Amino acid sequence: MIERRDFLKGCLACGVTAATVSVASGKAMAAGSFEGYPDAMGVLVDLTRCVGCRSCEAACNAEQKLPEPDLAFDDMSVFKEKRRTTEKAYTVVNKYQVATEETLFRKIQCNHCTEPACLSSCFVNAYTKTKEGAVIYNASVCVGCRNCMIACPFNIPAYSYSSPLNPLVKKCIFCYDTRLKDGKPPACVDICPQQVMTFGRRADLVKLGHDRIQANPAKYVDKLYGEKAVGGTSWMYLSSVDFDKVGFDGHIQNEPIISNVKDFLGFVPMVLSIWPALFTGVHLLATKNKDGHHDHEEGDHQ
Amino acid sequence: MKQFLTRNPGTQVIDSLRKDNDKGRPWTLMEKIFLGLTPQQYVSQAMGNPLNWIFAVIFLIGFPVLIGRYIFGLSWAVGDPYDNAWGLFLAFGLFGMVPLSSSGFQLGSAVEVFGRHDFEPIERLGILNGILGYFFAVVFLMVDLGQPWRLPYPMVVSWGPEAVLFLVAWHVATYLSVQAAETSTAFFEWMGWPAGKTFIKKMALGLAVAGIILSTLHQGALGALSTYAPGKVHPLWYSASFQWLYFFVSSLPGGLCMVIVVSTIALKTMGWRCDDIYKNSLSKLQIALAKGASMGLITYLTIRLIGIAHDNKWAYLATGWGAWWMVEIGFGVILSLVLLTAGIRNNSVTLVRMGAWTTIIGVVLNRLNVYMFTFNWQQGHVHIPPIREIIITVTVYSLYIVTYRAILYRWPILFKWKTRYSDYAVLEPKPVAIAEAEAASSK
Amino acid sequence: MHAVKRQMILGVTGILMMLVSSVCFGAGIPDKVTINSIQKYYAPVSFNHAAHINKLKDCGLCHHHTTGAQVADPNCARCHKNSGAQAVVSCKGCHTAEPFTPEALKQQRDQQPPIYHRDKPGLKAAYHISCLGCHEKMQGPTGCQDCHKRTDGGDAIFKSGKYAPKAPAKPKAAHH
Repeated sequence: MIERRDFLKGCLACGVTAATVSVASGKAMAAGSFEGYPDAMGVLVDLTRCVGCRSCEAACNAEQKLPEPDLAFDDMSVFKEKRRTTEKAYTVVNKYQVATEETLFRKIQCNHCTEPACLSSCFVNAYTKTKEGAVIYNASVCVGCRNCMIACPFNIPAYSYSSPLNPLVKKCIFCYDTRLKDGKPPACVDICPQQVMTFGRRADLVKLGHDRIQANPAKYVDKLYGEKAVGGTSWMYLSSVDFDKVGFDGHIQNEPIISNVKDFLGFVPMVLSIWPALFTGVHLLATKNKDGHHDHEEGDHQ
Repeated sequence: MKQFLTRNPGTQVIDSLRKDNDKGRPWTLMEKIFLGLTPQQYVSQAMGNPLNWIFAVIFLIGFPVLIGRYIFGLSWAVGDPYDNAWGLFLAFGLFGMVPLSSSGFQLGSAVEVFGRHDFEPIERLGILNGILGYFFAVVFLMVDLGQPWRLPYPMVVSWGPEAVLFLVAWHVATYLSVQAAETSTAFFEWMGWPAGKTFIKKMALGLAVAGIILSTLHQGALGALSTYAPGKVHPLWYSASFQWLYFFVSSLPGGLCMVIVVSTIALKTMGWRCDDIYKNSLSKLQIALAKGASMGLITYLTIRLIGIAHDNKWAYLATGWGAWWMVEIGFGVILSLVLLTAGIRNNSVTLVRMGAWTTIIGVVLNRLNVYMFTFNWQQGHVHIPPIREIIITVTVYSLYIVTYRAILYRWPILFKWKTRYSDYAVLEPKPVAIAEAEAASSK
Repeated sequence: MHAVKRQMILGVTGILMMLVSSVCFGAGIPDKVTINSIQKYYAPVSFNHAAHINKLKDCGLCHHHTTGAQVADPNCARCHKNSGAQAVVSCKGCHTAEPFTPEALKQQRDQQPPIYHRDKPGLKAAYHISCLGCHEKMQGPTGCQDCHKRTDGGDAIFKSGKYAPKAPAKPKAAHH
C-alpha cells in the first residue's frame, strides 16, 4: 500500500513539475511584440515648459463635458496636494518642488499605451486601441469589475462609484470622438500656451524627443519616459530632473503588462489537455483492487 | 436545537424519507424543513439559541446597509477608492473564501479518483463546503461589481479572452455547475428523487476530474490576477514567475483545513445531527486530512522561500513589511505545521484542530495582504475599508454561515439518509402496512 | 556765388541722406503691436514694442536673425551664422497659428530634406516661451492676466468669476 501511494505521489509530482518547468523556461516569444500602429499619433510632454496654468484641465473639462469641478481652474491652491485623475477630472497637473528654487509641473492623463494593461485585463473587451493611437472605452459592455484600475501601472482609470445605475470607467480618451478621429490634436494640446505638448505621429515624436535632448543636453535628463515603459506609451515625457522626483515610477517594467500573464495563460490549454488523462490514469492505477476489478465495476456504494 | 432535544428526548429529527423509522407516510417538504418539529417548536428552539440573536442583530443592521449599496450606489458603501479599486468584498469574500472552498475538488477526487472511500463520511461535507464557498464568493462579487446585472456579459455579450478574469469567470461558472451536480446527490436523497441521484453518480469520476482541472486553473488564476499589478503588491508577497503557484498550492491545505474546522464545529454544535459513522470516524479522518494539509503547507513554505530567493528579495525581510511577512508565515504556515505534525505524530485531534484554524487564518490573511493590505504599499498608507463595507462583508458572511447551518441541519451530509434507494428501482416496495391499508380503502 | 551754391548742394544732400537713412533704418518699426491673431479666451495683447526695444536693445532676443542680429543659439548658428536680415520679421510670419492640423503635420513630415526647423513651436507657444521665459528671468509680468485679461469665454472655460463652482469651498480630496 505504501509503495503504491509513494508511486502515485511521484507521478503527480513529476507531472506538475514537468508542466511547470516547461512553462517557466519557455518565453512568450511566439507571439512577437506589437510595435504600434504605424500612423498612431502621440504627444510629447516637455515638463520644462509647463508653468502650471491648468488651461489643459479647463479645456478637457469643456471638451469632454465633465461635471463642474470643486474649484475653479485658475485656483492654484490645488497644488498643495498631489492629485490623481478622478471620475470628474481626466487630467490633472501636479506641482513638484525639485530644488530650492526649482519647481516642475507634471500633467497626468492616460498615456495611451501601445499594449495597454487596461485592455489586456478586461474580460469583456471594453477597451480598444485605435489605429489613431487612442485607447478608448466601450461603456455599453463594462461590468464594473475594475480590473483595469488594478492593472494600469499609472493608476489612471477612475470609476464613477457614485452612480447607482450606470457607474462607468472614466478616463482620457485622447479626444478621440471629437478630434483625433479627424486627425486633430486633443483639446489640452490645443489650449496649452507654452506648447508643453507636441502632437504628431508617435514614431516621429520619439525622434523629436531625442533630438530635443541632443539639442539641449544640459536642460534634459537623457531619457524619453514612455519610449519603452510597459511596451511603449503614446504620451511620452521629457524632464529636467530624474523622473522619480516628479512622481513617475522610475522602476516600471519595459515589457507590456500582458507579458506578465502570458505564461500562466499558456498553461491553461495544457491543463485542459493533460489533466484528464493524467487523473484518469491515476484513478485506474489507484483503484485496481486485488481481483483486478476497478471500484466502479462492483456496483455503486450507497 | 441541542437543548430542545435534551428537553424532549424521543423527538425524531427527520433522517429518512418517511415517518416512523421509514415505515410510515413520506414526510412533506414543510415537515422536512422544520425537521419534524412543529413550526412553533422550531421557532421556539431557534429563539433559545443565543447565536441566532447575534445573527438577528447583524442582519438588522446589515441588510439595510446592503440594500443601501444598491440604492445609493457603490460609493455609499465603499467610498471612492480609485487607487485601491478592490476592497474587502473581493479580498476577503472572493480571494479569501475561494481557497478555503477547494475542499470540493480535493475530497471529491480523494474518493472518486484516488479511490479513498474511507473518506466518504466527510466527502459530502467537503463538497458542500466547496459549493457554498463559491456560491457566496459570487454573492460577494454581485455586491462588488459596479453593474452586477451585467454578470453574464463575459459569457454571452462580449468576450475578452486574453484577460485572466475571463478564465476565472468561465471557470467559476462551470465549476459551480460541477459542484452543484456533486452536491445534488444529497439534495436528491432528501427530496426523494433517486433517479436524479443515480444520474449524477454515473458521472462521478468525470465530475471529479473536471473539478480538479477547473480548480487548478482558477485557484492559480486568482493569483495570476495580481501579476497585472507587479509594482503595487509588496515584493515579499509577489513573484512574477510563481504567483499562480503560491495561490494554487496554498489553496490545498486551506480547503482541507476548512473541512477540519467545519466538521469540528458541526460535531460540537450539531452533535445531534451527526450519525455514529461520522462521530466515530471523524478524528481519524481529520488526522488523515492533516497529513495532506501539512504536505501542502511545507510545499507552500518552500515555494514562498524559493520565490524570495529567485528575485533576491531577502533585504525586504529587514523592513516593517518584512516583519509582517514573518507574522503571516510564522503564524499561518510554521505554527500550523508544528501543530498539525504534532497532532499527527501524537494522534492528537485537538492539536490538529488548532493547526487547522491557524492554517485557514493564514490563507485568508495572505489573500488580504496581497490584494488589500500591501496593495499600493509604496503609497505609504494601508487602505482601511470604510465601516459600511465592513458591515456588508460581515452580513454576507453571516448569511453564508446561516445557509451552511440550514443545509447541515436538513440534508444528509453529516449523517446517512436512512432510506436506501437501489440503482434501478424507484423506491423500495411499499411497506406492507401501507399497501394493505390502501388495498382495504380502495375496496 | 559758387561757394554758396556748393554749400547748398552739400546741405541738401546731407538732409536727403538723413531722411533716406531714417526711412530705411527706423520708420518700419512699430512702437505698439496689437497681438490678436489668435484670441479666444483672452483679450488682445497691447504690446509695448518700443519699451522692449529700449530695454533689450538686441533685436535677436526675439527676432532671431531676421532683423540682422547675430544668432546666439549654437543649434541655429550651425546653419544661420551668416544669415542676415529677412523680409519677414514678425512672429506670425514664420510661426503658424495652428501647428498641429493634419496639413501642418504633413507639411512638416514631407519637407525635403526633413531636417529644417523640426521643433518649431506654434505661434502661441512662440509668444509665451519667448515672453514668459524672459519675464521670469527679468522679473516681468508672469501672470496670465497680467498681459491679457480673460474674456467672458475665458471665464467660462476656467469656471472662474461668475462661472465659479457653487460647490463647497474646500476641495474634495480624491480618495486613494
